[in-house]
This record gives sequence, C-alpha cells and structure tokens, in this order.
Amino acid sequence: MPPVASRAPSTASASSDTSCVIGPKIVVRGALSGEEDLVVEGRVEGRVTLVGHLVIAPGGSALADIDATSVEVRGEVRGDIVASRSITIERGAVVAGNVRAPRVMIHDGAHFDGAIDMDVALPDGFAQGQARGRSPGRSSARAQS
Amino acid sequence: MANTVIGSTIVIDGEITGDEDLVIQGTVKGRVSLRENILVEESGVLEANVETATITIHGTVTGDVHATERAELKSNCRVVGDIRAPRVLIADGASFKGSVDMDA
Repeated sequence: MPPVASRAPSTASASSDTSCVIGPKIVVRGALSGEEDLVVEGRVEGRVTLVGHLVIAPGGSALADIDATSVEVRGEVRGDIVASRSITIERGAVVAGNVRAPRVMIHDGAHFDGAIDMDVALPDGFAQGQARGRSPGRSSARAQS
Repeated sequence: MANTVIGSTIVIDGEITGDEDLVIQGTVKGRVSLRENILVEESGVLEANVETATITIHGTVTGDVHATERAELKSNCRVVGDIRAPRVLIADGASFKGSVDMDA
C-alpha cells in the first residue's frame, strides 16, 4: 500500500472501531496486551490481556489464556477466559477451558468443554459456609449468635 | 480488511509469523517473519529481528532487518540495526545506525 496516502485514514480509524486485526494468515506467539478492541482471524498462542472487546472470528483460533473486558468467540479457543464484563460463545464456536465472567452466554450450536464461574451471589449462609469451609447450617447459626 | 493491524495500544512480546501484510502502530518485541509487506507507522515500535519481503519504516525499529525485496526508511524514522536487502532506500531526515548489505 502507498504509505503516505494510507497513513492518515489508518491512523484515524485506529481510535474508532475494530481497526486492530490479526489476519487469517498470521500467527502470533507470546504475550499480547493492549487497550483497544481486537479481532483475531488468524492464530494467537500464549497469553492475551486486553482492555477492550476481543473477537475470535470464524476460522480464528486462540491457544491462549485470555483476560479481556469482553470476549466473543466465533472460532476456537483452547485456554482459560476471564472477562470483566461478558463472554459470548457463538454458534459454531469451539471452546475448551474454564471461563469466568459476570455474564456468560453460550449459544445454540456452540461447543464448550470446561467450567463456568459467573460469580453467582450464593444464599448468605451458603456463601459464608463455603468461605469458611463449614457447612451452611453451622455458619448461619454462628452468624445469629 | 485483509491486513493485519497491530493497533497503537497493543504490545506483543513474542513472535509473529505469517503470510500477509502487517501494519504496526503499536509495539512488537521478539521476532517477525513474514513473506509479505510490513509497514511500521509513526507510532509503531519494532524491537525485533525481522524477515520479510518489504518493509517501510516511519516509526522506530531496533533489530536486524532482512528484506528479500526492499527496505525503505522514511523521514523521521529511527532505525538501529543491520539491514540486508537488495534495495535499500533512506529518505532525508531518517535516522539510522547500523550496516547495510545490498548483496543479499
């Protein structure tokens, strides 16, 4: 591409929507971090830490532990996913690993193998009992005394 | 958008390999191995040994560059390292320290 002509528009779009893309024929190995939205159409291996929305596009794959604001999987992820907002596993996606987010959505036609932690607010006694490693009955009795 | 774009807040520590054009606005450390074109924009920082077909540098590159076709250092770029390419272009205003080998 002609660099001079391309520079202005590409820099302008950098701050707006999904301008950061790992293309389908690219492999990134190692640690990837950043503060913007990212679309992975290729392959990422290692670790991804992102303040922003991460999309694993159809055909894209991540053999990585992922930590992001929100994650949308349409391709394949092998590794643990932690999101501060939400994780969406779309139709046709394959995810193997544990996921943790306040909102986790798995759509019909998605394949998921792993554990989900939504930070569910457990009933009072139950939560305390778990935290202290005691049975719920005992700890609630304790709280009353 | 067929290109791969490493956005300005993105830091990659590791290795990038592949077969398509790469635009670097952020930071890439480690190793880059492509058979296509690399564009390092003004905000881009590349601290890596690079193998590619062509590279155009507006930003900062530290490391050895091996381009099978062409390496272009634009004005205001900063490059430290050795460059090996059959065609090497250095624009007025570019800052470069290293050796150039055009016999490759």
